[in-house]
Amino acid sequence: MPDVKLVGLKKSYGDIKAADGLDLEVKDGEYLCVLGPTGAGKTTLLRMISGLLVPDEGQIFFDGQDFTRMEIEERKAALLSQTYALFPQLTVEENIMFGLDIRGADEKLKEQVLISMLDLVRLSGRSDAYPRELSGGMQQRTALARALASGADLLLLDEPLRALDARLRISLRIELRSLVKTLKMTAIHVTHDQDEALVMADRVAVIREGRILQIGTPKEVWDEPATPFVANFVGQSNFFTGEVLQSSPFTLIRTPEGTVLKGRPSELVTGTTAVLGVKIGNTDISKDRKGYLKAKVERIIFEGRNLHVDLMMDNGQRISSKVPSWRKGKIAPGDVVDVYWEESKGTVFPMPPNGLENELKVE
Amino acid sequence: MVEVRLEGVGKRYGSVVAVDKVDLTVADKEYVTVLGPSGCGKTTLIRMIAGIIEPTDGKVFIDGKDMTGVPIEDRDIGYVFQNIALFPHLTVENNVSYGPRARDLPPEEQVRVSRRFLEMVKLLDKMGMLPGELCGGEQQKVSLARALSSGSKLLLLDEPLSALDSRVRVDLRYELRRLAKELGLTTIHVTHDQEEAQSVSDRIVLMRAGTVVETGTPEELYTHPKKIFTANFIGETNLLEGWVLEIKDGVSVIELRNGGKVKVNQSNHPVGDAVVISVRPEFVFLADEGMRAKVTAITYMGTYWRITANTEDEEEVAFDSVTYDENLLTIGREVYLAVNPKAAVLYPRPEDGVQEAIKLE
Amino acid sequence: MDSLIKAISRKRFRTGWTAFIIAFFLFFVILPTVYILSYAFTNWGSIEQYVLNDPAMLDLIIDAILASFQIAAIVTVIDILVGLPMAWMLVRKQFRGKALLDTLIDMPLAVPTAALGFSSAIFFAVTPESLAAPAFALNMVTSPFLLIVLLHVVFSYPYMVRSLSAILVQIDQTYETAGRTLGASALSAARTITLPLFRAGLVTGIILCFARSLSETGGTMIALATMANSGGFATGPTLIGDWKHDLGINPDLAAPLAFVSILLIVLSLILLVVIKLVIMKVHLPMGRIWPRPEKLFSRGWFPKTKDGLAVFFLVVFVLIPSFFIFTYVGSVESSSFDWGPFAESLMFSFLVAGVVTVIDIALGVPLALYIAKNRTGKLSEVLDVLVNVPLIVPTAALGYSLGVFWTGQNIIPTYDVLLIILAHVAFTYPLVVRNVAGAVEEVDPAFEETARTLGAKPVQAFRRVLYPIIKSSILAGAIMAFTRSLGETGATQAVVASAQTAPVYIVNLIKLQTSSGYYTAGLACIVLIIVSFMFMLALRYITNRRAH
Repeated sequence: MPDVKLVGLKKSYGDIKAADGLDLEVKDGEYLCVLGPTGAGKTTLLRMISGLLVPDEGQIFFDGQDFTRMEIEERKAALLSQTYALFPQLTVEENIMFGLDIRGADEKLKEQVLISMLDLVRLSGRSDAYPRELSGGMQQRTALARALASGADLLLLDEPLRALDARLRISLRIELRSLVKTLKMTAIHVTHDQDEALVMADRVAVIREGRILQIGTPKEVWDEPATPFVANFVGQSNFFTGEVLQSSPFTLIRTPEGTVLKGRPSELVTGTTAVLGVKIGNTDISKDRKGYLKAKVERIIFEGRNLHVDLMMDNGQRISSKVPSWRKGKIAPGDVVDVYWEESKGTVFPMPPNGLENELKVE
Repeated sequence: MVEVRLEGVGKRYGSVVAVDKVDLTVADKEYVTVLGPSGCGKTTLIRMIAGIIEPTDGKVFIDGKDMTGVPIEDRDIGYVFQNIALFPHLTVENNVSYGPRARDLPPEEQVRVSRRFLEMVKLLDKMGMLPGELCGGEQQKVSLARALSSGSKLLLLDEPLSALDSRVRVDLRYELRRLAKELGLTTIHVTHDQEEAQSVSDRIVLMRAGTVVETGTPEELYTHPKKIFTANFIGETNLLEGWVLEIKDGVSVIELRNGGKVKVNQSNHPVGDAVVISVRPEFVFLADEGMRAKVTAITYMGTYWRITANTEDEEEVAFDSVTYDENLLTIGREVYLAVNPKAAVLYPRPEDGVQEAIKLE
Repeated sequence: MDSLIKAISRKRFRTGWTAFIIAFFLFFVILPTVYILSYAFTNWGSIEQYVLNDPAMLDLIIDAILASFQIAAIVTVIDILVGLPMAWMLVRKQFRGKALLDTLIDMPLAVPTAALGFSSAIFFAVTPESLAAPAFALNMVTSPFLLIVLLHVVFSYPYMVRSLSAILVQIDQTYETAGRTLGASALSAARTITLPLFRAGLVTGIILCFARSLSETGGTMIALATMANSGGFATGPTLIGDWKHDLGINPDLAAPLAFVSILLIVLSLILLVVIKLVIMKVHLPMGRIWPRPEKLFSRGWFPKTKDGLAVFFLVVFVLIPSFFIFTYVGSVESSSFDWGPFAESLMFSFLVAGVVTVIDIALGVPLALYIAKNRTGKLSEVLDVLVNVPLIVPTAALGYSLGVFWTGQNIIPTYDVLLIILAHVAFTYPLVVRNVAGAVEEVDPAFEETARTLGAKPVQAFRRVLYPIIKSSILAGAIMAFTRSLGETGATQAVVASAQTAPVYIVNLIKLQTSSGYYTAGLACIVLIIVSFMFMLALRYITNRRAH
C-alpha cells in the first residue's frame, strides 16, 4: 500500500503544457481526489503515475523508490478509466479475475477472491454475463471489482462516475469510497465534479493548467481557498475588489464606492489592490440585520433544500446568495436586502496578475 | 402561441415499450423539464415531438396542429442535441446561419439573424472559428444560438448539458432559462439531473420506465411528492419503514421498524397500516428521544455537515447540522434522532418493498 | 512459458522484431514492385532503340495505356453515380430484404475476374460462331472498349459501394437530423452537411476503383478473346501479358515491356497523389439551399425511383453478368471434359494462395499493429503511404518488375513457384495490413492500457485482450488475400509466362477459340466460382458474428 510522491513532473505536447511542474504527495491508504476542469491535466497526471505516459521532466516515487521509468506492469497501479474498458470478449468473472490470472495465482485463491469480490460489489448473480449485457452502474462496479481484485496496491480512478446518471452517481460515490477503504488501498481519484471530491476525499488537490493550486482536506479547500480560482471552482463565490486597508486582525478592503469589507487575516500589503471572495452559501441576506452593502433581489430559484438568490448591487455588479428554503416567504424579487458574511468566511487575495475574469475562467 | 399537446403518445420496438401512452400538455411560454433516469423514455419522447421518431400510438399536437406524418423540417422547432452536433466543416457563423439559409432567406438577413443570436450568447467574437477550436461550454452555446436562429418559438433541449463539466453546467443552465424567458419560448428540456431540473423549470415531468410518475413545480415535487420514487429521485431523503401506532388531532404516531417512534402531521393512513416515512436530511435533528442510531460518517458539505448514522436494524439515516461539536458527535457515538412532523410525508408501504419502488436501473 | 514471455517482452527483442518486419516489407514488397523504374536509368539506350525510335511500337503502347486510363476513369465515374445511392440505402435506410441486398453486392468479389470476363462477354457481346450464346443474352456490344468498361464496372462496383458505406457509417447521422430540425429537407441536409464530410471515403473509393480497373488483366483478356471481333484492342496489362508470353522467342520485347511497366507505375502513383489533393482540397461552393425543389425531391416518388434504379442497375449490370456463365454451361451440349489439367492448375492456384496468405498474415499483422499503434510517428506515416503503392500499381506491371528484380540477383534461387508466390504476396500483403490496421485503430486503446496496468506484459495484453477483438478482421483479411490471389492473372503471367494457375489456364483455353475450349473454360469458371463463393460466405459469417 504505497505512498506516492510526485516531484516536478512536466509534460508538454507542442505548446500545450499538460503538466507544468506537478508536486504531490499521497499518503499510504489515503483517498485523494484531484479536482479540476477539463484540460487541466488530470488524465495526464494519472497516465504518468501508471506508466502509460513518460514525463519529460520530474520524478515519481512509490514508497521512496524511483519508479519514473518503471514498466507499467511492474507498478501495481490499477487504472479504472472513464469508459471502464471492460474486455468485451470476457465474462464478468473473467474480467474480474484478469489481474490474478496474469500473475498466475492458484485456483483456490482465485476462487476466494472472486466470491468475496462479487459479493462486495453486489454482482453475485451476474458472473457469467458479458459486459454488453450489463447496465451502466453494473459495468462500473465490474470494472471496480476488476481493479480491486488485481492485486494492485494503488488505485487510479479516471472520472469513474462520469458516465453515470446524476442520481446513480450520488449513491455510488459512497459505495466506491467504502470499498476502497475496506481493502485499505491508496486511491487517486480524478474528477471535475466538486461535490464528488468533497464527499469522497480524505484530501483534495485542485489542479489547473498542469499545476496543483492547493492540497488540503475538503474543509480546508472550501473554507481557506488559496486562490480566487479555487474559491470559485470549489463551490461558487462572490468577489469584491478593493484597496487593502489592513491585513490583521482582520483584512479590511475598501471598494471604489467607499464600502469597507471584512475578511480573514492575511499577509497582504496595505495599499495594494485585492479581491475578497466569499462563498455564496456563506453570503447571507436579511432585511433586519445591517450588512456590508445593500443589493436588490432579482430572481429566486427554488433548489430543494436551498434557495438560489440572484441580486444586483447599486454599482451594477451581480452577486448570488444561497439560503435555506424555509426562508422562502420572507424575500421576494424587488426587495432590497442587506448583504453580510462572517469575517472568517471571507478570504482576501492579491489581485491576480491577468485580471479577475481570466483567473476565474473555467474552460 | 405555441402549445404542445401529447395525447396517448407511445413508442414500441417489437415487444419493448419505450414510451407507454403519455398524456402531456405544455402551455405557451412554459419551461417544462422531462426528468428521469436513463432508459425512462424521455429522449424517445422529445424525439417524437421533434419528428425524429414516429410514434406507434397517439398524436402529437404543436400549436393545435396534428403532427402525424409531418416531416421534421416542417415542424418549426429549435432542437439542441446532447452531443452538440455542430457541423464540423462550417464556421461558427455558418453553423448559426444554417437555419436562415435552409429557408433561403436573403444573405443580408442571414447575417443579421445569426449575428443577433451569437451576440445573445456572447460569442460574436468567435464567429470565424471552427467548432473544434471551441471548448465544450462554448460549443453548446453556439448550438443554442443555432437552434434559436431558426426563429422558432418552440425549443427542444435533449440533455443539453450532460456532456459538459459540472462547473460549466451550473453557469450554463441559468443562461438557458434566461434566454428562453427573454425570447418568450415554449421550452421542453430533457435531463437526468434533478438539480438541473429544479433550477430551470416552471414545471417538472418525472418519468420512469416509459410512463409519467408525477408532474409538478420544483417546489411541489420537493416538499409534497406524491410517490416514493419522486421523493427519492428529487433531492435526498431518508425512507423509514414502520406502522401507524395511533392518531390524535391529525397527528399520526408511527412506530418505526428500527424501534423509534416518530410523529407526522398527516392522518390519511388508519392505525395498523404499514407505511413508509420520507423525511429529508435537513428536517432530521438530534434530540433527547426518538430513533436510536450510531454515527458512521461525518462529511463536510461546505455550508453544513452531513452526518450518517445506522439504526438498530441497519437502516441508514442521514441528517444535517450546521455546526457540530467535536466532543459530542464522533464516529461510533450513539445518538437519538427526531423528525420535523410538518416536513415528513407518509406513503403506503410498497408491496415489492422500498428498494424496488426507488430502483433506478 | 513464463521465461519465454519474459524474453520476448524485453525491449531489445521488440525493437529487433519490429526492424525485421519493416525490412521484410521494404525489401520483399516495395522494392521489387518499383524496381523496374531503375531500368529507365540503366537501360535507357534499349528504350530509345526499341520504343522511342519505333513509331508503331510507341503508338501501340500509348494507345493501350490511354485506353487503360480512359476505361478506368469512365468506370470510376459510373461507379460513383450508381454506387452512392446504393451505399446510402444500405447505411441509412431500413427495409425488408436489406440483408439480402447486402450479400448480393459482394457477389462479384466471389467471382474470379477470369470467370467474370467470360461471363460478361457472353452476356453483353456479339460472340463468334464457335461460341453459341444462350437465350437471354443481350449480344449487343461490338465495341471492345465498351465491353471492357462494362466488365470493369462489374467487379469494381463492390469496392466503391463498400468504401462509401464504410465512411458513411462513421458520419454521425445526428448532423443531418440537426440540419432537418433547422428546416432543411432530407436532400438539402445530405447535400450540404454529409457530402462535404464524405471526402475521405470518396478518395478511398475512387483510388480503389481506379486501381482495380487499371490492374485488370485476366478478365479483360478473356472478354477480348470471347467477343467476335476485338480487332487487336489492348490495354496496358494485356499488352504486358501478351509480350511476356512472347519474350522467350523475341527478347527485343524486354525494353518495351519495361517501358510499359514504368509508365503504368509512374502514372498510377501520380494519380494517387493528384486524386488525394484534388478531392480533399477542392473548395465546394457553400451549399446554397433551394428549399422548394429540394423538398420536392426529398419526398414522394423521387427517392423511391432513385433507389429502384440503383437496384435495377445492380441486378442488370452487375449481378446478371457475373453469373450468366451458369446459363451458358447449362444450355450447351456437353463435350468431354478432361479434368486432369484443370485440377492440376486449381491445385497449383490453391497452393500458391495458401502460402501467400500465410506469409501475409505472419508478416503483415505485425506491420499493421506497428502502424496502428504509432500513428504519430514519422516512420509509421511513411509506411502507411507506402503500403498503398502495391495496391495502386497495376499487377501486371508489378509482376514484371518483380520478376526482373529477382531474376537479376543471385542470392536466392529463383524457382518459378517462388516467384509467383512473391508476386502474389506483393499485392495481397497491403490488403491484410490495411484491413488489420483499420480494425486496430477502431479499438479503444484503453483496453490494452488497462490490461497493462493490471499487470499484463505487452505480449499478454495483445494475446488476451486485443487479439480476441481483432481476430475476425485478421480472418477477413486472410480470406480477402486468398481470394484475390486465387483470381489473379496479370501478375502471374507477367512474372512467369508459362505458369499454369487456374485463371491462366482458363485464359489459355479461351484463346483457342474453339467450341470445346469455350465449354471447358465455362466449366472451369464455374468450379472456380463455387470455390471462391464458399470462402466468401465464410467471410460474411465471421464478420457478422463479430458485429454481435
